[in-house]
Amino acid sequence: MSDLAGLRFASSRPLTLGVELELQLVSLRDYDLTRAATDLLASLPGDDSHGEVKLEITESMIEVNSKPRQDIAGIAADLEGLRALLVRHCGRNNIAVCGGGTHPFHRWPERRISPGERFAFLNERYGYLSKQFTVFGQHIHVGVRSGDEAIWLTHALNAHIPYFIALSASSPYMDATDTGFQSARLNAVSAFPLSGQAPDVADWAAFLDHMALLQSCGVAASIKDLYWDVRPKPEYGTVELRICDTPLSVARAVQLAALAQCLCRYLLRERPPVDPVLQTLVARHNKFQACRFGFEAELADPLRREPRCLATALEALLATLAGDAAALGCSGQLNALREITEARAGDAAWLRARAATGQHAFNELTRQAVERFAEPSIQGGGI
Amino acid sequence: MTILRDAWEALQDRLFFLPPFPDQLDALALFALLLIAGLVVGELLQRRLGLSRLVGYVLAGAVCGPEGLGWLDAEGVAMARPVADVALGLLMMETGRNLDWRWLRLNPGLLRSAGAEAGLAFAGLFAFAWLAVDLSPAWSAATAAIAMASAPAVVLLITEECRAEGQVAQRTQVLTAINCTASFVVFAIVLGVIHAEQSGDWLNSLAHPCWVVGGGGIIAWLCARLALAVAARQSGGALAQVFVLVAAALLAIGLARMVAVPVFLCLFMMGLALGSLDRGRVLTYASLPQGHGLLAVVLFVVTGAMLPLTDMTPLAVAQVLGLLLVRGLAKFGGVTLVGQADLPMAKRRLVGLGIQPLSATAIFMAAELTTIYPEVSGQALVLPLLAAAVMEFIGPQLCRAALVRAGETAPAAGRRTE
Repeated sequence: MSDLAGLRFASSRPLTLGVELELQLVSLRDYDLTRAATDLLASLPGDDSHGEVKLEITESMIEVNSKPRQDIAGIAADLEGLRALLVRHCGRNNIAVCGGGTHPFHRWPERRISPGERFAFLNERYGYLSKQFTVFGQHIHVGVRSGDEAIWLTHALNAHIPYFIALSASSPYMDATDTGFQSARLNAVSAFPLSGQAPDVADWAAFLDHMALLQSCGVAASIKDLYWDVRPKPEYGTVELRICDTPLSVARAVQLAALAQCLCRYLLRERPPVDPVLQTLVARHNKFQACRFGFEAELADPLRREPRCLATALEALLATLAGDAAALGCSGQLNALREITEARAGDAAWLRARAATGQHAFNELTRQAVERFAEPSIQGGGI
Repeated sequence: MTILRDAWEALQDRLFFLPPFPDQLDALALFALLLIAGLVVGELLQRRLGLSRLVGYVLAGAVCGPEGLGWLDAEGVAMARPVADVALGLLMMETGRNLDWRWLRLNPGLLRSAGAEAGLAFAGLFAFAWLAVDLSPAWSAATAAIAMASAPAVVLLITEECRAEGQVAQRTQVLTAINCTASFVVFAIVLGVIHAEQSGDWLNSLAHPCWVVGGGGIIAWLCARLALAVAARQSGGALAQVFVLVAAALLAIGLARMVAVPVFLCLFMMGLALGSLDRGRVLTYASLPQGHGLLAVVLFVVTGAMLPLTDMTPLAVAQVLGLLLVRGLAKFGGVTLVGQADLPMAKRRLVGLGIQPLSATAIFMAAELTTIYPEVSGQALVLPLLAAAVMEFIGPQLCRAALVRAGETAPAAGRRTE
């Protein structure tokens, strides 16, 4: 029996939330990405009352992890505390921190791999992809009682991935070019061989069999090697949504976490029919549509056998979740998401509205993103 | 050569357009050859020994210059001086532009560290020159003012050469910019003190520092304003912005030379003015990194040719080593012991190493004084000049070593390419 086959799913309190944000570290001189993560980490105080700050694959990235919290207010307080800490210490190091799924104009060959065995391994395994992976995402953990529940929820959430993509999309620019996408970040993730959707396994035991197969064939050494859009995280006792771009503000990150919590509550409560095989048939199409067109995407609905406008479907979903939002104290956050959907005013639109023309337009755009992230997120979106 | 001359003169009978046989290489051609030699030697040292290219440029200048093989005589060096002025001026402007006062406001520990390092260096150097070398108080102060500054051009160029990014690189640059500011202020005051000591002329003692600082400041402000105004009306891309920046800098250099204001000081102030006046960020992102490499060749080849290597007597060598030891300890101590609690001690030590270079600015400051008091300053300023000569070869390596040890250089820059 492999190590993975013996892996125990650590049960956690249902709907417990945890949020990870990958953030950009930029130079104040030109707002390009800069090598700063290890220096920044060394200068931070040991206080972990709001969570952790960690290295990521390249030295121009930093990851913040909230503590596991039962309600959205705790997540908001953690992320705001971590944001304030980073902004303060970045200032002391003459750098800046900002959100956004991609940096608009950095050159990936200039990135430096962070120190550490894991990062060296990834660089060795994936070659240039590891530097191109300097993209920035938000991961949301939702607690579940058991491995079986985690597998079911993983499949159930897969159908809702396009909504999270559209709501979080904040990466319209790459290589100083408007990609035409709302979220270009996910194209960088798609290059990895173990990205995509979880396989059609019925329960935790079947999942462990699948993992054992991957391990024995040398495909994956651990669950960490699987870059699925949604995956179970047995050591935390959670299901992890890994599809979102890092938004430009903490407020939006909190709103997305609130949506995940409400949606999981609804799914676990109602247990709607889930067909992973059918869903897999349209998953790549739907993901592409959401990345490319955001709220205007035309999603394929394999159960109803018809296309649906993403924004219309999302508005309907948000209305469906109103009761769960009220029960979880997330109504403010979901109302904010509804307004964004109605106005089609996501972060990608915010960036495009501010992108001027001219030689240094992207430097200036990044500066504005830095200013936006530096604003405290006390109000707005119900934080 | 005789055969060539005979052939040339024979041809002259038939080809009336031929000039007389050129006995000497044209000074411009000679200078160009010197630059090419600098480039070749710099590249060779970098590839073979892993040394900074700057060392090669200085070496080429020193070997070919008046005090080396003499291929470039004193007249040739004097002719090249304006070109070196431009190179140093542009690099000083970049240093001034990069000095971010917001950082010092957010991190007051860094300012304390800078104050301690510059203050200790001045006090140590003054005491050494006065008590150990027996210079007069005024010339001791001049020695201290000149030698207390790090070398902004060296630090900027080494950082770019290694593509270094990180706290050691950033703090080395900002501390260098601050100690240069302090050095220039002290230098202006010392000018007055020297006038008082040499001639007892109080009018000049007061007026000259004011002229240098005030005149340089006005030129800097006007040229910075002009650059920003013109750049704001340009619809062109980065090239137009760089063109405006360089043209305004050349104007400032010309004006500074016309009214006898030190070019390095004026352009440094222009960099500061550009940084603080550019609220619309018209020129904030304009940079000429490729241009820096060209400026480096010109500046360091000429600087190498200006080094007073024949003054290196055993006594002078001992005094120079003493001065550099005092300076090195003062800078290292100031940086490691005061402020910057947010930086680990190992990195503070590397910053202390990174700010050691002493170079072209010192040589040009000494040249300013030599112009005014040629008969006295030649002897009195030999100490900082020789110290600069030694550090021309060691300083770039120290700075480079600090950045490599800090792990801040690009992978290829940190190791020998052979």
